[in-house]
Amino acid sequence: MSQPSSTCPNCGAPIVFRWSSSVQTVCDYCKSILVRSDLDLKKVGQVADLPPDSSPIQIGTEGVFNHKPFTAIGRIVYEYDQGTWNEWHLVMNDGSSGWLSDAQDQYGVSFAAPGRHLPEAGNFEVGEPFVWDNVTYSVSTITNAHYRGVEGELPFQYWDKTDVVFVDLLSESGKFATIDYSDEKPALYLGEMVEFENLSLKNLRQFEGWS
Amino acid sequence: MSAGGPTPPTKPQVRALNCPHCGAALTLRSFNNAVTIVCESCHSILDAKDPNLQVLQQFKASADEKPLIPLGSRGKIRGTEYEAIGFQRRTIHVDGEPYSWHEYVLFNPYKGFRYLTEYNGHWNDVSTLKALPEQVPNSSPPKVRYLGETYRHFQTAKAGTSFVLGEFPWQVRVGEADVVTDYVSPPRVLSSEKTGSEVNWSMGEYMSGKDIWRAFRLPGDPPEPIGVYENQPSPLTSDTMSIWVAFAAFALALVVMMIGFDLTADKREIFNGYYKFDSNKRGDASFVTDEFTLSGHTSNVEVNTSTDLNNRWVYLNYALINVDTGQAFDFGREVSYYHGYDSDGSWSEGSANDSVAVPKVPAGRYYLRVEPEGDPGYGVTYYTVNVKRDVPQYSLYALALGALLLPAILLTWRTLSFEHMRWSESDHPPIKWGNDE
Amino acid sequence: MIRILYIIYGTAVLLGLGVAQYQGWSLATVNEVKNVPRSVRDNPGSYRSVYSAYHHYTGGK
Repeated sequence: MSQPSSTCPNCGAPIVFRWSSSVQTVCDYCKSILVRSDLDLKKVGQVADLPPDSSPIQIGTEGVFNHKPFTAIGRIVYEYDQGTWNEWHLVMNDGSSGWLSDAQDQYGVSFAAPGRHLPEAGNFEVGEPFVWDNVTYSVSTITNAHYRGVEGELPFQYWDKTDVVFVDLLSESGKFATIDYSDEKPALYLGEMVEFENLSLKNLRQFEGWS
Repeated sequence: MSAGGPTPPTKPQVRALNCPHCGAALTLRSFNNAVTIVCESCHSILDAKDPNLQVLQQFKASADEKPLIPLGSRGKIRGTEYEAIGFQRRTIHVDGEPYSWHEYVLFNPYKGFRYLTEYNGHWNDVSTLKALPEQVPNSSPPKVRYLGETYRHFQTAKAGTSFVLGEFPWQVRVGEADVVTDYVSPPRVLSSEKTGSEVNWSMGEYMSGKDIWRAFRLPGDPPEPIGVYENQPSPLTSDTMSIWVAFAAFALALVVMMIGFDLTADKREIFNGYYKFDSNKRGDASFVTDEFTLSGHTSNVEVNTSTDLNNRWVYLNYALINVDTGQAFDFGREVSYYHGYDSDGSWSEGSANDSVAVPKVPAGRYYLRVEPEGDPGYGVTYYTVNVKRDVPQYSLYALALGALLLPAILLTWRTLSFEHMRWSESDHPPIKWGNDE
Repeated sequence: MIRILYIIYGTAVLLGLGVAQYQGWSLATVNEVKNVPRSVRDNPGSYRSVYSAYHHYTGGK
C-alpha cells in the first residue's frame, strides 16, 4: 500500500493518504474538501463543523471483520429524523474498501455490490423481497436523510449532497442490504449486522473520565 | 500514522452546565448521547440537544426520591464498567392501588446503555433487544419465544413516569404512560413497551441486591427483598426434579429388595394346632403347646389364629417361650367378628382370623403358652394356631417407601408454594389456597 | 447439595429396611420377658401375662 503525499492547495499543509485508491480527502488544517486526480489535489468545497457525536470510533480505529483486519480512514455523516449516524470508510488489509455503519449502538459492515439488478427509485414497498447472491432480503425501512459532513478519505467524490434516500433490507440470518439512491445510478451495498465486541476494535476515541 | 494535524480529534468532555430555570449546576455525563436532562433542584426536564437547554416540562415532586445507586457511581456489570446517569420512578395502578418501581440508566461510552430496575428489593439487569421475539400462536395466556426460550405472559399495565433525575437517551416526561407487558422465564423477563405506534423490547435478568451492592461497591446493606418477584429464579426447581429421579431409583431398588427377600425368606410352617375354648368353663383356661424348633438366623415368627367366631370376640394371651434361655415374647391378640343387616344393607366388622409377626426371635427350641379369654355365656370357640418362621413384612416396605417419599413431597410443596407466591402477583393469579371469599 | 443429602438419606433408609427385613422386625407390640421358669411348662397357669385380665367388648352396630 503506497502512501503518496502531497500538499493542500488551499493552505499548504501536508496531506498524507493512507489508501492509494482514495479519491477524496479533507484537509485537517483548513477543512477543505480535496479531490485527487493522480497526484493533483483540487479543492472542491469546505466542510462545515460536524455535529457533536459520541461514536466511540474515530479515524484511525482498527478492527477485524470476518478475520480481515481493517482501518477506518474516513466517514460520511448523515442526519435523519432520529438524529445522526456515521458511515465509516474502512480500508481492509487486502486494499479493498468497506463501510461500517454506526448508528445508536447498531453496527453493520457492508461492501459495495455493483452490477446487481436494482429496483427504480420509489418502486418498492416494505416487506417486498429481493434476492441477491442467493440470499433473500426484504425491505424493512426507507430513510430520508441528508448529508451532514465528511471527514478523512473516501473512495469517491461525496460532498454537499442534499437529500438522500436509503432503502434498508434485512434477511432472516442477520444479513442486510442498503440501496443508496443519492446518485442517478442507485448503488447496492451488501453486509451483516455485527456486535461491537466482535469487531475487536482498537485505537478507539478517548472519552474524558473513561480509560 | 495519524491523520491528525494542529486540530486533533476532540476528546468528548463531561460538561458542566447551568439550569436555565434556576441556575443550579448540572453535569452532562453521557457526552452527546443525552436527549433529556433533569435539574435536581427545580425538577425541570431540559432538552439536552438544545444548546440553550430549553425547558420541556416541569414537574412537582411531593417527596424527593434518593436513588439507591447515587448518580455518578460506577459499577461493573457483565465485565464492563458503567456509570449510573439517570433515575426514574414508574408507577402502575392495580385495583386502584399504586405500585412503583425504580429504573436506573447506566452508560458506557463504548458499550452504550444498560438499565437496572428495582422493585421491593428485587433487581434486574436490562438491555434493549435488537431482534423481535415471536408470538406463540394460539397461546392463552399469551407466550412469546426468543432465542429458543419460551416466556409466559405475567402482566400488562399502563406505566407512567412519576419522578425523574439525571440524563436519559430518550424523551422522558413525568405523567406519560406507556403500556408495558412482561413475559417471564425465570431468571429472565422480556418486556415490551408501547409508546404511541412504536414497540420497544428489552430483556432483563434477575440480580440480587447483594450482587448490585458488590458491583457498585455501595456502603451498607441492600434492602431486603419482599415476596417473590416475577422472574426471581426458584432456588428449588432443579433440586426437586433430581430428587424425584433419585426417588424413582430408590423405589426401584425397594421393589428389587422386596422380590429378593420374598424369594429368600424361609416362610416355613413350623407348628399347627387345633383347639377348643369354652368360655363357660370355670378355672384356668391356659395351656402350653408342644415344643418346636425355630431354625436359621434371628428373624420373625408369624402366629396366625383362625377362629369360627360369629358375632363374638375372643382374646388370646400368647407367650412364645424359649425352652433353653427362658426368654419369652409376650403378646395378646383380640379376635372379633360381627356382621349383620340394617337399613344400609349388610355390614361386617372385624375378622375371624388374626395374624401377628413376633419380631427378632432368635433360633432355638420354643413352645407357645396360650391363655384364651372370652365373653362368658358365649360358649365354645374352635380355633387353629399356626406358626410360620421368617415371613416378609410388607408393612416395612410401605414405611420405607413413605420415608423416601416424604422429602420429595416436602420439596415439591415448597417449590409449588414459591411459584404460587410468584404468580399471585400476576395477571393470572392461581386459585387461592385456604380461605375462600 | 440437597440431592446428595437425599441420596445419603435414601440409601440409609434402604439399608435400614434390609436389616429390618433380615432380622425379622415387625410393627407388632410384643413384650420381651426374661427368665421364664421351666415350671411354666407344667403349670401354664402360673405364668402371668402382661396382657391378661383383658376385658374387651365390642358392641354390635
